[in-house]
Amino acid sequence: MVEDGAYRILIVGGGTAGWMAAAALRRRLALADYRITLVESDEIGTVGVGEATLPHIKLFNDMLGLDEAEFMRETHASFKLGIEFRGWDREGDRYIHPFGAFGEPWGGVEFQHHWLRARAHGRPVAPLEAYSCSVMAAQANAFELPDEDPDSIRSTYSYAYHFDSSRYAGHLRDYGTARGVIRIEGEVCAVEREGESGALASVTLKSGQRIEADLFVDCTGFRSLLLAGQFGAEWEDWSRWLPCDRALAVPCDHGGDGLTPYTRATARHAGWQWRIPLQHRIGNGYIFSSALLSEDEARGTLLANLDGPPQAEPRLLRFRPGRRVDAWRGNCVAIGLASGFLEPLESTSIYLIQAAVTDLINLMPTPRAGRRADPRLADEFNRLNAMQYERVRDFLILHYIANRREGEPFWDALRAVELPDTLAHKLALFRARGTVPNYQYGLFARDSWLSVLWGQGLRPRGYDRLADGFDLDAVSARLEDFRGRIAAAVSGMPGHATFLWGYCGGALELLS
Amino acid sequence: MTPSPPRVTIVGRDTAMWLTAAALRQALAPTGVSVAAVELPSRLGAASVHVSLPPLEALHAKLGLDEAALLAATGGSFSLGWNIAGPDGAAPFFLAHGSYGAPVEGGDFFHYWNKARRHGLAVPLEHFSLTAMAARQGRMLLPDEATAIFGRTDYGYHLPALAYAAALKTRACAAGLAVRPTRDISVERDPDDGAIRAVRLDDGSRVEGDLFVDATGDGVLSGAPPRDGATDRRLIARAAAFASVAPYSEVRIAETGWTSLHASPAAAYVVHAFSAERSDDEALADASRLSGLALADASVESVPTGHREAVWDRNCIFIGASARSFDPLFDLDLHAVQLGIVHLLSLFPATADFAAERSEYNRITGSALDRLADLPAAFHNANSFPGGFWEGKRAAAPPRAVAHKRAIFRARGEIPPMEDENFAPDFWRALFVGLGETAESWPPAIDGIAPERMKQEFRRMLAFVRDKVLEQPTHDSYLRRFGRSEAA
Repeated sequence: MVEDGAYRILIVGGGTAGWMAAAALRRRLALADYRITLVESDEIGTVGVGEATLPHIKLFNDMLGLDEAEFMRETHASFKLGIEFRGWDREGDRYIHPFGAFGEPWGGVEFQHHWLRARAHGRPVAPLEAYSCSVMAAQANAFELPDEDPDSIRSTYSYAYHFDSSRYAGHLRDYGTARGVIRIEGEVCAVEREGESGALASVTLKSGQRIEADLFVDCTGFRSLLLAGQFGAEWEDWSRWLPCDRALAVPCDHGGDGLTPYTRATARHAGWQWRIPLQHRIGNGYIFSSALLSEDEARGTLLANLDGPPQAEPRLLRFRPGRRVDAWRGNCVAIGLASGFLEPLESTSIYLIQAAVTDLINLMPTPRAGRRADPRLADEFNRLNAMQYERVRDFLILHYIANRREGEPFWDALRAVELPDTLAHKLALFRARGTVPNYQYGLFARDSWLSVLWGQGLRPRGYDRLADGFDLDAVSARLEDFRGRIAAAVSGMPGHATFLWGYCGGALELLS
Repeated sequence: MTPSPPRVTIVGRDTAMWLTAAALRQALAPTGVSVAAVELPSRLGAASVHVSLPPLEALHAKLGLDEAALLAATGGSFSLGWNIAGPDGAAPFFLAHGSYGAPVEGGDFFHYWNKARRHGLAVPLEHFSLTAMAARQGRMLLPDEATAIFGRTDYGYHLPALAYAAALKTRACAAGLAVRPTRDISVERDPDDGAIRAVRLDDGSRVEGDLFVDATGDGVLSGAPPRDGATDRRLIARAAAFASVAPYSEVRIAETGWTSLHASPAAAYVVHAFSAERSDDEALADASRLSGLALADASVESVPTGHREAVWDRNCIFIGASARSFDPLFDLDLHAVQLGIVHLLSLFPATADFAAERSEYNRITGSALDRLADLPAAFHNANSFPGGFWEGKRAAAPPRAVAHKRAIFRARGEIPPMEDENFAPDFWRALFVGLGETAESWPPAIDGIAPERMKQEFRRMLAFVRDKVLEQPTHDSYLRRFGRSEAA
């Protein structure tokens, strides 16, 4: 029972962000202390952002206590070992950014230095990707759950999912409402604020119903109804580095390359195209710069590059890359697209929601400390949120600026763009010596940076000198042994579709 | 591929010099890089002591320094943390190198303690720390499977500085380091880019290098020490060893400054910091009174604090106090040397053009040293001790990171996660709680656990700590065992 006097949280907007927030808050906050209400309108569509995810989503689902197989059946999910990038350096090339390690550090020296050194000394080494179990499995369209035994080569990767995000939101809606989230259908038509403090006081729905709350969570997507609408929160624009501002999205039937255990991002003339294989369909989209490409041209390219027949008319989305400087103002916290937008090139949208929800739970105002949200906690939320966004931003920019697609205005301009200092610094270090960024908080980890820096064609001039202290024959033997163990493990893995069929059971009749 | 700088010349003295030289020589010799040392006269005295942080153990292991042999040879001892004794009967608090309490359902113990305290729990935080409670009983804390599940139990050392520096020098020379002693040096720079080409010794000879490391303690190779301006003064002295050697440092707070005692089998070392208004004679009297010891070998120096923007400037890397000098309260100099060494090795130039390495070294070392300096700054900022010395510390504007840490601790009992942090959240919390701060709230997610269940958990933890601590050897008997194995 929610008791009178409970702290009232109102989530406005019922897309992926709204229901992730509602489910997690309900799971983590005592029913007696917090009343959680979510208002959503059946009239307003959701963007359905992020059908592709990162491995962190599993922690979120585990925290909720979701059954993995059931969740995958419900959301028509498939497994994901990484993202394939096609044509990002030059037309025709490809690499996979895996959710897993390349090799292993030896003697306190990171793997790539041993590999670079063996390569520089003319030793016969395999391509970098041959030392990644996840890349090899992805290329073979194979999948198996990782092994918990740290000695196993199958402990060197993790996985994420492709899923239908509307179904995921629906799954979490069932979860949340079954556990006490109060769902109200309706469209917000007015917002009331307290005269003195300026804090949000209530929202009024078209039905005339007025809902008061202590804390408002703005999950209204691009509209940012409360944060931008009421506070005019300052916007930090990142379009000089990320020039795409439109997306055309269309689902299609299976066919072509089938149920790959990876997302694909293919570079196009003025942007890129995504391909996300679910159990029952493939999600596709072309993200482009409207300054350089018409909607018609984009539609033509998109429809000409599908695995199977389209299931609908392509849908247009408009966006601006950037973020609200303060996602938490007063008693209003924006989560998801209401707080910022970064294109789904690295499947980070749902991760950013998850990180914000996790921080909000830790920094949640408590009724006994007074109903007013503590500005110190808001500061910390905003500091963490900025860190998360900026790290993802730099990683995305890397894909664009390190290209050799000469003669295409979109790509030519990106090669010439002035980089954020934080990224320029990382590139200089990798070019000099193959050392990759290594930080404790936020995305992405070392292996991710290595994968994309190398995949985009950057080549270091040197490697860590400490690698020279190792016997070269022993290093060569070790490289070969590692590669061999991966090859053996992958050859024993079932195909992705076969594994998924066995794991999720009946839903796979959707696949034919 | 261009070959990287093949010659490193270290100019310095004492512990910073020998730790750097031993580590660089050991790591770089197999890669073909030569390491030479130019040794300036020592500034250590019989009363000099180092207090180390837990990570030093790992560096020693890399250098092949056996812990038992090192402690036996130097007369050193273990340190489980700091006991901070307030003035005039105020309850002391322990700042331990181990965790406080065990996680509850994967969440931090601290919040449960904070909540329980609000509801009347009277048990101090440190009673939940294996390390703190072992220290209070004069015992070691030897980890086992059960303690590892409970939490971290780390330790540092008290190392008599002359003997420790000598042991490091022996190690470095055994690894093949060539040492050139000199009374002073002059620096020969490239007329074009200002890079150091060579140092000239007192006998007129030159030692060249491609990279130079300044471990002189005051940045001789730059011509200027890293100083923001002299502040306090510090007296060091020693006394006869205690019959029983405490496995921790004790800091005694007085109105005019503080006195710390670092026990070891070799001697009891005393450090006394005071504001410049007090005369050296008065300070000696204060130190004697506060320590209650007959002090010998006393000397006084001013302790400036300051930092250098570029800790790697052109082809010269400034390490330890040459890069930054810290407030002496927690004796962070040795750890600063270690940070410099670790980052230099992980960024040792891959090619002759090392601008990228230099830039990254300056970024990451600067950040790590900032986080290190947060500790005394936070202590000063949050202190509520009486007296002009402490009022002055309180009045100084804290670094932004410290102000933020303190604000978030007070608001929620959380320590904001920061890159390159040196101390665990538990350590920061123990500091703030010990200084009298109260965390005003806790994450509401912990309210899901019933108070009855938490009472049981608290009782279980307290019993575990009590039983485990009683199983531990006393510090004295543990050190004696080390001594015997060395003699055998």
